[in-house]
Amino acid sequence: MSSDYSNIKDSAPIEHRFNPYSDNGGTILGIAGEDFAVLAGDTRHTTGYSINSRYEPKVFDVGDNIIMSANGFSADGNSLITNFKTNLQWYHFNNNEEKLKISSAARLIQHLLYGKRFFPYYVHTIIAGLDENGKGAVYSFDPVGSYEREQCRAGGAAASLIMPFLDNQVNFKNQANQPLRYLSLNEVLSLVKDAFSSATERHIHVGDYLEILIVTKEGVRTELYPLKRD
Amino acid sequence: MNSIANRLACAGSERAAIHDQSFFSNFSTNNLAASLSPSIALPPISQPTKFLRANTDDSVNPDVKIKIAHGTTTLAFRFQGGIVVAVDSRATAGSWIASQTVKKVIEINPFLLGTMAGGAADCQFWETWLGTQCRLHELRNKERISVAAASKILSNLVYNYKGMGLSMGTMICGYTKKEGPTIYYVDSDGTRLNGDLFCVGSGQTFAYGVLDSNYKWELSVDEALQLGKRSILAATHRDAYSGGSINLYHVTEKGWKYYGNHDVGPLFWETKQAEGSFNNVVT
Amino acid sequence: MSQDPSSINGGSAVAMIGKDCLAIACDLRLGSQSLGVSNDFEKIFNYGPNVFLALCGLGTDVITLNEVFRYKTNLYKYKEERTIEPETFANLVSSSLYERRFGPYFVSPIVGGINSKTGKPFICSFDLIGCIDFTKDFAVAGTATDQLYGMCESLYEPNLEPEDLFETISQALLNAVDRDALSGWGAVVYLITKDKVVKRLLKTRQD
Repeated sequence: MSSDYSNIKDSAPIEHRFNPYSDNGGTILGIAGEDFAVLAGDTRHTTGYSINSRYEPKVFDVGDNIIMSANGFSADGNSLITNFKTNLQWYHFNNNEEKLKISSAARLIQHLLYGKRFFPYYVHTIIAGLDENGKGAVYSFDPVGSYEREQCRAGGAAASLIMPFLDNQVNFKNQANQPLRYLSLNEVLSLVKDAFSSATERHIHVGDYLEILIVTKEGVRTELYPLKRD
Repeated sequence: MNSIANRLACAGSERAAIHDQSFFSNFSTNNLAASLSPSIALPPISQPTKFLRANTDDSVNPDVKIKIAHGTTTLAFRFQGGIVVAVDSRATAGSWIASQTVKKVIEINPFLLGTMAGGAADCQFWETWLGTQCRLHELRNKERISVAAASKILSNLVYNYKGMGLSMGTMICGYTKKEGPTIYYVDSDGTRLNGDLFCVGSGQTFAYGVLDSNYKWELSVDEALQLGKRSILAATHRDAYSGGSINLYHVTEKGWKYYGNHDVGPLFWETKQAEGSFNNVVT
Repeated sequence: MSQDPSSINGGSAVAMIGKDCLAIACDLRLGSQSLGVSNDFEKIFNYGPNVFLALCGLGTDVITLNEVFRYKTNLYKYKEERTIEPETFANLVSSSLYERRFGPYFVSPIVGGINSKTGKPFICSFDLIGCIDFTKDFAVAGTATDQLYGMCESLYEPNLEPEDLFETISQALLNAVDRDALSGWGAVVYLITKDKVVKRLLKTRQD
């Protein structure tokens, strides 16, 4: 027994596009050194041409000497990081406060991301820390959880501006007589600052502040630098 | 909540549950798959597949927000001395080269290799998952899984997800006593083929060109490795979406052995010099 | 895949100003989507002793526009009995492109040259319908635009001597095109000073 209303409803459906995603801009950058790793991000938060906030941190110390950032759609990013922290808590409870290895953290994040394979988190995720041998480690993930350990990786809005610069200055690409070597922390920090001030100059979704988190065996340290605000 | 949290929350009882289930449904891959794979969230709408295509498939919508890495050349072939597997290492999102250092051979276990073409995450995730399935098979049956069975676990899995947008083109390569060196091609449509020689990915035609014209069963191991590498090199040259470096593997009755990472940058010029080939390139 | 005319064939170019000199460079690839077709497709053309034009975008329009500008600069030479200056040529490019406002050539050009009167180096870039972007440091174009902006913005400094400028522009172009699937397959750099033009081929990755 269908009512008149249901006939109308069925014959003339009103289409509502389901649009759960937006892009909050910003860029992140991770570099692994010999005995340290850094993960940096700008703090501008945007939708379209509007700046929502000039200081909205997106790189976090998530515990166990791991730093993490999920750049892209910030609601998804925050949700992913909260999820990760919850899982880490459970891991500690069930394993007598055992420290989570960075390689295991990476595998966990793969499962968190792939768990939403058919409704993805719209984020580019990078984590940084130290591996079992105390060497710097950076892992980067695509939105649905494929991941790889890398020496350096830029993610987010200005990744395409920064990544070739990193190839050149960190992995010495196209520099024929330049042997591969680890960079010092100071060299890395100045590269990060150069990369972000360049990206700020040419990308409207990048700017305001640069927040760099540095992991060493002593723990996590934060540095904050101003970027252009225009 | 996702299944990992649940499992961590009650690890003890969950483990017992898995055991029970596998005891009673020894041959049901389906139930087992359900218990070990995560529960995968779906968008809360009537047609999830349509939503996913609109948001992730760049052939439907070129400026999609979520770009999934595509573009690859991979090959594997059987010959007198076992199997050679060779792959490139480039990941692209549109024309942007996202990575030149992707590991497109997934080491499922010491006797099984899987190659990766299509969605990077789909291949990486389900082939490591396949590794756990193979291990469970060993524990239950006190014997290594056959390549036929392993590849069928994967093809059945992807068939369950047919139409949902999984994208994978993979070769499952391995060696067992009863089968000898074996290659199965498995893709996300559900195709599963046994064969001697496959090339998969956007650069497959270029690789086939070199491979077909120089392949014979009697190849020595060194010749076969060289041919695998050379075929991928040809593909990286012509196909914009293939490149980076070449990863080489050899599979025998003793399992697989890794034959190194070869950067296409210098390798190209070395090959050109040594063979007098690639005469379309000057300098 | 997408059918955007300006990224079917691929290719990129960049120009930079140094101390009394300038450099203009491009890759050599011409493709058809993913298929590499030619590794000998120069995108830089010359219309007088030191007036250079780089044309990126749709291959057929690159060829056609080169012919158009060769024709127009030759006529200019006959009428004026002198070769065209880079600033004048930039305006010629702009007006020629705007003539096709509603059926444009799918190109992004860069003009570079040294003014024969003042000796000042000059570069500028355009959109496909001729809006001029005058710049005093560097100009970029093509499918690796984003990558080139990132490289130039971080490597470039003003008043470089010719050899240092050559190194800078080469590194900028090489590392940028190595992150673009549709550019690369060889590269060429023109180093232009008041009394000399040097052309150099760069050895690049071939994937």
